[in-house]
Amino acid sequence: MVLGSGPIRIGQAAEFDFSGSQACTALREDGYHVILVNSNPATIQNDPEMADRVYIEPLLPDVIRSIMEKERPDALLAGMGGQTALNIATDLAHAGVLEELGIELIGSDLEAIDAAEDRDLFKKVCESIDLPVPFAIACNTMEEVLSAATEIDTWPLLVRPAFTLGGLGGGTVWNTGELVEIASLGLRNSRINQVLVEESILGWQEHEYEVMRDSADNCIVICTMENIDPMGVHTGESTVVAPQQSLSDADHQHLRDCALRLIRKLNICGGCNCQFAWNQATGEVRVIEVNPRVSRSSALASKATGYPIARMAAKIAVGYTLDELPNPITGEGTTAAFEPTLDYCVVKIPRWPFDKFRTADRRLGTSMKSTGEVMAIGRCFEEAFHKAWASLEYGEPHPRPLTRADESDGEGMADRAHEALPESTLVEWLRVATDRRMGALLEAFRRGWSVERVHEITHITRWFLHHFEHIAKVEKEITEYIGSIENLEAFSLRKWKRLGFSDAHIADAKAGFPKTGWKNLPAAAGESAVMARRHQLGIHPRFRMVDSCAAEFAATTPYYYSTYEGSDESGIDILPDIEERTKERMVVIGSGPIRIGQGIEFDYGCVHAVKAIRESGRDAIIINNNPETVSTDFDTSDRLYFEPLTLECVCEVLIRERAHGILLQFGGQTAINLALPLESRLLELKEMNLNLRVLGTSTDSIDEASDRERFESFAERIGLKMPRGATGTTADDVRAAADKIGFPVLIRPSYVLGGRGMEVLADQKQLEAYLKEAYLAPDKPLLVDEYLGHAIELDVDAACDGQEVLIGAVMEHLEEAGIHSGDSTCFIPPQTISPQMVERVRKQTREIGLGLGIIGCYNIQFAVQGDDLFVLEVNPRSSRTVPFVAKATGVPMAKIAARATLGVLLKDQTIPIPRTDLVCVKAPVFPFIKLTGLDPAPGPEMKSTGEVMGSDPDPDVAYLKARMATEVPVATGGGAYVTVRSADKENVVPIVRELLELGFKVHCTPGTADVMRRHGFGVQTAYRITDRQQPDALNLMRKNEIQFIINIPTTSGGAVRDGNMMRRLAVELNIPFVTTLSGAKAEVSAIRAQRRGPLIPQRLKVSYLKD
Amino acid sequence: MSRTIYAGQGFCPGAGLVDSAEIPSFPDAADLMLKPFGNPPIEEVPGLLLLADGGRFEGLLFGAQEWAEGELVFSTGMSGYQESLTDPSFAGQVLTFTYPLIGNYGIHAQCSESAHIWPRGVVVRQAMSCPDHRDSLGSVDDFLRLHGVTGIQAVDTRSITRRVREHGTLLCVMGRADDERALKKRLAELKAPDLEDLVDEVSIAQPVLLNPGFRGPRLAALDCGIKYNILRELCRRFEVLWCPPDIPFDALVNEWEVEAMFASNGPGDPAHPGKATNARQTLAAAVASGMPSMGICLGHQLLGLASGLSTYKMRYGHRGANQPVLDLTENTVAITSQNHGFAVEDPVRGMLAAHPSGANSGPQENLIGAEVSVSHINANDRTVEGLDVIGLPAFSVQFHPEACPGPHDAAPLFDRFSEMVSSTLRGDA
Repeated sequence: MVLGSGPIRIGQAAEFDFSGSQACTALREDGYHVILVNSNPATIQNDPEMADRVYIEPLLPDVIRSIMEKERPDALLAGMGGQTALNIATDLAHAGVLEELGIELIGSDLEAIDAAEDRDLFKKVCESIDLPVPFAIACNTMEEVLSAATEIDTWPLLVRPAFTLGGLGGGTVWNTGELVEIASLGLRNSRINQVLVEESILGWQEHEYEVMRDSADNCIVICTMENIDPMGVHTGESTVVAPQQSLSDADHQHLRDCALRLIRKLNICGGCNCQFAWNQATGEVRVIEVNPRVSRSSALASKATGYPIARMAAKIAVGYTLDELPNPITGEGTTAAFEPTLDYCVVKIPRWPFDKFRTADRRLGTSMKSTGEVMAIGRCFEEAFHKAWASLEYGEPHPRPLTRADESDGEGMADRAHEALPESTLVEWLRVATDRRMGALLEAFRRGWSVERVHEITHITRWFLHHFEHIAKVEKEITEYIGSIENLEAFSLRKWKRLGFSDAHIADAKAGFPKTGWKNLPAAAGESAVMARRHQLGIHPRFRMVDSCAAEFAATTPYYYSTYEGSDESGIDILPDIEERTKERMVVIGSGPIRIGQGIEFDYGCVHAVKAIRESGRDAIIINNNPETVSTDFDTSDRLYFEPLTLECVCEVLIRERAHGILLQFGGQTAINLALPLESRLLELKEMNLNLRVLGTSTDSIDEASDRERFESFAERIGLKMPRGATGTTADDVRAAADKIGFPVLIRPSYVLGGRGMEVLADQKQLEAYLKEAYLAPDKPLLVDEYLGHAIELDVDAACDGQEVLIGAVMEHLEEAGIHSGDSTCFIPPQTISPQMVERVRKQTREIGLGLGIIGCYNIQFAVQGDDLFVLEVNPRSSRTVPFVAKATGVPMAKIAARATLGVLLKDQTIPIPRTDLVCVKAPVFPFIKLTGLDPAPGPEMKSTGEVMGSDPDPDVAYLKARMATEVPVATGGGAYVTVRSADKENVVPIVRELLELGFKVHCTPGTADVMRRHGFGVQTAYRITDRQQPDALNLMRKNEIQFIINIPTTSGGAVRDGNMMRRLAVELNIPFVTTLSGAKAEVSAIRAQRRGPLIPQRLKVSYLKD
Repeated sequence: MSRTIYAGQGFCPGAGLVDSAEIPSFPDAADLMLKPFGNPPIEEVPGLLLLADGGRFEGLLFGAQEWAEGELVFSTGMSGYQESLTDPSFAGQVLTFTYPLIGNYGIHAQCSESAHIWPRGVVVRQAMSCPDHRDSLGSVDDFLRLHGVTGIQAVDTRSITRRVREHGTLLCVMGRADDERALKKRLAELKAPDLEDLVDEVSIAQPVLLNPGFRGPRLAALDCGIKYNILRELCRRFEVLWCPPDIPFDALVNEWEVEAMFASNGPGDPAHPGKATNARQTLAAAVASGMPSMGICLGHQLLGLASGLSTYKMRYGHRGANQPVLDLTENTVAITSQNHGFAVEDPVRGMLAAHPSGANSGPQENLIGAEVSVSHINANDRTVEGLDVIGLPAFSVQFHPEACPGPHDAAPLFDRFSEMVSSTLRGDA
């Protein structure tokens, strides 16, 4: 049995899909029967063909136990599913379940896990082999914490909770107040209620060693990594370089010895990650931690070196020794027992969600906030760093001089772009680690600051600072370059390209970084002019193989990166033997880093597209930059290019490959956004022997589906209803729009800032109030829409081949329209919609697909209001729900759609019969616990990081399973706190009745309590904070008297703040809460379902029609 | 003690350390940097690297910025450039580092493996002008300049490596780009450095007793180009007589009364008729007499030749810090540091991974009166990595248990030797 890691969360992203998938493949090759359990429907690992038996069930010890009882596995491999799986394994082992069922824990054994995870034990282990650990005291109570602080007697102190993922709840504290605050959170979050109070080693270097060991005690170091951010920032939050750069061989060998001693002492078989702090000034070492499993870092190390750590760890777990295994990269004749050596530099930068969550606290520390990461490879640090930056997709593909607009959280960007960032702010951005720090480093050197000055502020190793200084110096050289782009000299251009300056960056720098942005540069001074001149000079990148051996052996891994080097080679570095290759070459564009709104679901689609291409006898080529994913496993495609997904980099790959086709519909918005710019380049590319087809839906159809006005006229033409809507950039525009549509209207900014968000306005008066606080600018219009009160939202995923439409599923959202569809809970099949209405939905889906000329997949959002059906949105691409549909129905929509884009008609495809015996529920998972400053309530802006699925013949049980899989508990009894806006007070009555029937003690805010008492219910009154009266809700929560919260917020006034505080506390105390009426109903039925007896695990099944 | 501030760039607090009590007793190649030295020239000098197979690479010269010639080899270590540059086994060669960023942590005092830089030229992708390390005395550029060695950077080292991989080691020249014609002429006339008596070039001339009075057996360390760290490891276990490669065995026994023998690493062809052959004879006499003996690298090849096996030139050799070696007795793998271009033939499988030129020593006479067995092989290409002499207390390994640079996995071999010496002297075996 292999355990997955569950939903994508901050601190636990797609890396475990990658490692689990590798493990499944590795084990099945050897004839093992694999049972896989994972609650996340969006992973590749729980595709039916990846394992012999797949369960999409909550990752909870009891559930796993019941699956074990049913399946009777011989062994459990827990090291592939991150902390989640490891915790389940230790739970089951300690409870004696594994022994009782005769299941062997393979990979790391229980003792090793305990020794690595329990900080006190770990310290003892380190001391027994003479390895220094930071001076620290393990504490189980607040009293112990305080006395530990007195004993250590230096500030700052580091608080680290034991047994949490991504260091949740830890941090650096500078005084007793902060200590109490952070330590109490840490004590709560630790599975063993333990925190470590520790001497601070802030400012030391941080180094990581990825080590493997087999049962014969052979040890190898796969990769070393050095964090640019010094100690104090979680390694998952650090910008990381591989291999390490600033250690001498003696230093490195010393740490290597330490790492090997650790893995041997802990008796770990498989992969493990050792983190060290290194004092650059004295050469002192501290062991920070050991992860006795594959991790985020090992995924990065795998991609950085080409060495498939998870695959090898799985093989070792079943008893192979390293020297018995052939080297996966250089093939037979060489062995897996070797240490990769690199001849390039790798840079990883985390991807943070602060572009979406502008109010969230941006400070980086010992707990994680990033949702994903990017990796880039270059032959020098500057090149790798530039490429990594371009991969982040924050808007600017290259660093630009910082202005006040950058500190403004969005508002008034245009005005403030003319003012440089004040020096004091710059110092602050350097001093306090945030997502802005790397940009601030460059800005400091742009302003001529010395390396010493920046080092003093940041404690960042000077080696890195010298390189940032170099980038700034060369950037200045470009700005000062005399002469036009069309006359650029080869010598200079080559030099800049060698340092990783993109064409757009060169154009922008040459124009002096105009305030209006690089995209608005005139054609002769823009990106395309630089590209044209570069091509004219025959300057193209070279493509290098990631071969793990620095070209010492001929490798076969089809894994490449681009680099500009050599001053005498020119022309296109064309794919070798291109003339002899008979297969068509199809390029799939990946989706880049995992971020809010673009998660692993798109990687799933890409992998399926690649499979469809390969199965059709063509070569599938993938371009992507996310080191965590299955798509960037070199085994997935025929050729993998690890590159930024910018037009420039994509074009160079296309030219090298002489690609026949490109698929854009699976890589989310990242890929779709390339459609138009790419099409405008096709003519130029043709001159370079590139006859490229954009496969699937045409660019024009994409535009017709995406452009609001064009789509409106399309809808009108074929007779679809859309909510009426308009946009306004001035207050008068907005008033006129509201007039035309008629109240009530739904109003929202096109871009959610600090100001007012989405609201429903009933009349002119409310509109005026809204406008007073709203922010309006030409590029940030307000959207005004007809309000569909009490409408039910539906999602449909479908595929079209131009002649026929295949509907994957119609999904019904639990929440009313108004909550972002990515954050909603949804059901397959629909639960409350009539079959007739479902039929209409299917009919309109067909009409839209055929009418727009969709080739491939698309997604439609509908709203049902009474008997009216409205089309809200059409996405001409693979959607977030495609994997959920595939897992729920057994119909692999992504693959089917990809085949359609390759010209295989739906009627000619073998398509499974959709499964209908179960109700499947998809539920979102939110990052609220990690991100303070973010209102923990779903709304029009998407906030969830991932999803889980539950399935059962009974819809209530299916919902219950999904809810349990989110790892927020479902209340079993105790107290419930109910506070609802006036409009819903009567509606909540039946729910309160049910809660009382279920034996809950119900606490209500005074207003709600009155209504309840009128209905004869015995409820308690709980006050709001603003009421300044006891008992208040927060106190009750702290006293552990509330186990469930129904909070349906109003949108203005004190209640907003109050609700926000209450929800935040609920998040911290892990108390479940719902913010919608429908959510409350579902939750109550889940509580009821829970009492009906144990859950029955459902196996994933796919059935095909026999022909 | 006075300090002057290092005039170059980067963070090199050790720079300008003058009259320090810490000046090492072994003359170290970095000693030149303990005294103040000038800044590197600012001007960039375009350079050219020409390969015997017609390869031509443009770049920028650094270091001495003159010219260099030799046999082009590559090393895959990601750190340890100072140790490699000063490793006498690189004599006669032009060394390419496959890792693109060389010089990151500068040059350190007492971290060299000899008193000189031995490669005749150095090829890197990027020589870091701003090193960063608390022990740094200066940059790689400074180091090469002070030793009069020319390097070339900003060249595509990966393409160069691939050429060497495909064609085997190649002769090459490098120099100023505007001297292309002269460079071509040089290349045409260039003879393989293997033909020179490289061992003679790198070894000491007179014996020196390193740690007189050390309470341990006295060992003769035959210097064929010995690395300092081998001497350090030996000095921890023996009273070490550091001696020239051609010292006769009789003199060692009669004049110096040594009880154990060690044959070191070194450059070039082990079958060269010069000093290497003298060293082979001394080693063979020791082994044949039953004196406990150990060989490393060239010393291993000498033992192979002495036992009647042939040696041959490898296609491109093993140079780096990640070579997996299978111990055939223990059945375990060690990751080892290696630097060799020749190998001992496998008695069964013959000459694996041989150079296209087919160069080899030809049949050899057994000088030790005993057979050898293969104790270690390379886990990748299966070439011989270690030999045990059957029935006599002698063994040798092709890799470098002393590391520097590289991993310490094989370090226990020195203890094994030490135990072998003790038990032989006790008369156990």
